[in-house]
Amino acid sequence: MALIPGARRVARSWQARVIVVGESMRPTLEPGDWLLVDLDAYGRRAPRAGELIVAPDPRDPRRVLIKRVAAVDLDGRLLLAGDDREASTDSRTFGAIEAGAVQGRAWFRVRPLGRFGPVR
Amino acid sequence: MLRERILAALAPSRTVHAHCDIPCGIYDPHGAEIAAKTVSKMVALINDAVAVAGQGGQVELESRNKVIRCVKVKEEHAELCKRELQILWSDYFKPEHVEKYPDLHDRFWKALKQAGKCKQSVDAAAAAELEAQVAAIADIFWATKGGRPS
Repeated sequence: MALIPGARRVARSWQARVIVVGESMRPTLEPGDWLLVDLDAYGRRAPRAGELIVAPDPRDPRRVLIKRVAAVDLDGRLLLAGDDREASTDSRTFGAIEAGAVQGRAWFRVRPLGRFGPVR
Repeated sequence: MLRERILAALAPSRTVHAHCDIPCGIYDPHGAEIAAKTVSKMVALINDAVAVAGQGGQVELESRNKVIRCVKVKEEHAELCKRELQILWSDYFKPEHVEKYPDLHDRFWKALKQAGKCKQSVDAAAAAELEAQVAAIADIFWATKGGRPS
């Protein structure tokens, strides 16, 4: 029985799989990586500092960003940052985002197979 | 051929952008300045919360809660301030900048230590000093860029 919620998470995350474009999350994520996104990760709790999240760019919501939560402020808003600070546009430019805007948490890499496994 | 077709069928249809407006060389002391200001603000809020402590009951409980939350944010933003300063120090500033501003290394070293002091203490003067040290570094940063953007 304990396996079923896990299987459900994998199945739902597979449906929500994404491909990474851009280099601002290097060396953690490379362009072309396939990631599973847990859409239910923040149903019961808010994102925490250090987590990889997927959220619309506040300047252009058609573009969905992947960034790391650098910090959470007192009001629960998130400061996002790219792992490659030299090559990232993030909260340093567009400010904090609402925790409610986060679509999910990127938690697993399926491709390339050489780097198959959880991402953090 | 078959492999390509299978991969194409499995490939994600959504893209997520590890986005950068301009692909290199973006530095900004603003992050360190905001973090230092946040540290100052938390020191003030901690003092406010302590002022209503000692009354017992719900008021006491909530003032303690507020103190703990503010200390947590103070700690995190002091750390964020250090990280932002370290990025400027190691990645942005170059030997020619140090030639022109010979006290640059010393300024960074002292500001990083000051951020540590702000973690250890609840001291408005220490937080103000951190803000001032970060602001001085930001001034040098913008001087090397030919002026602060308006």
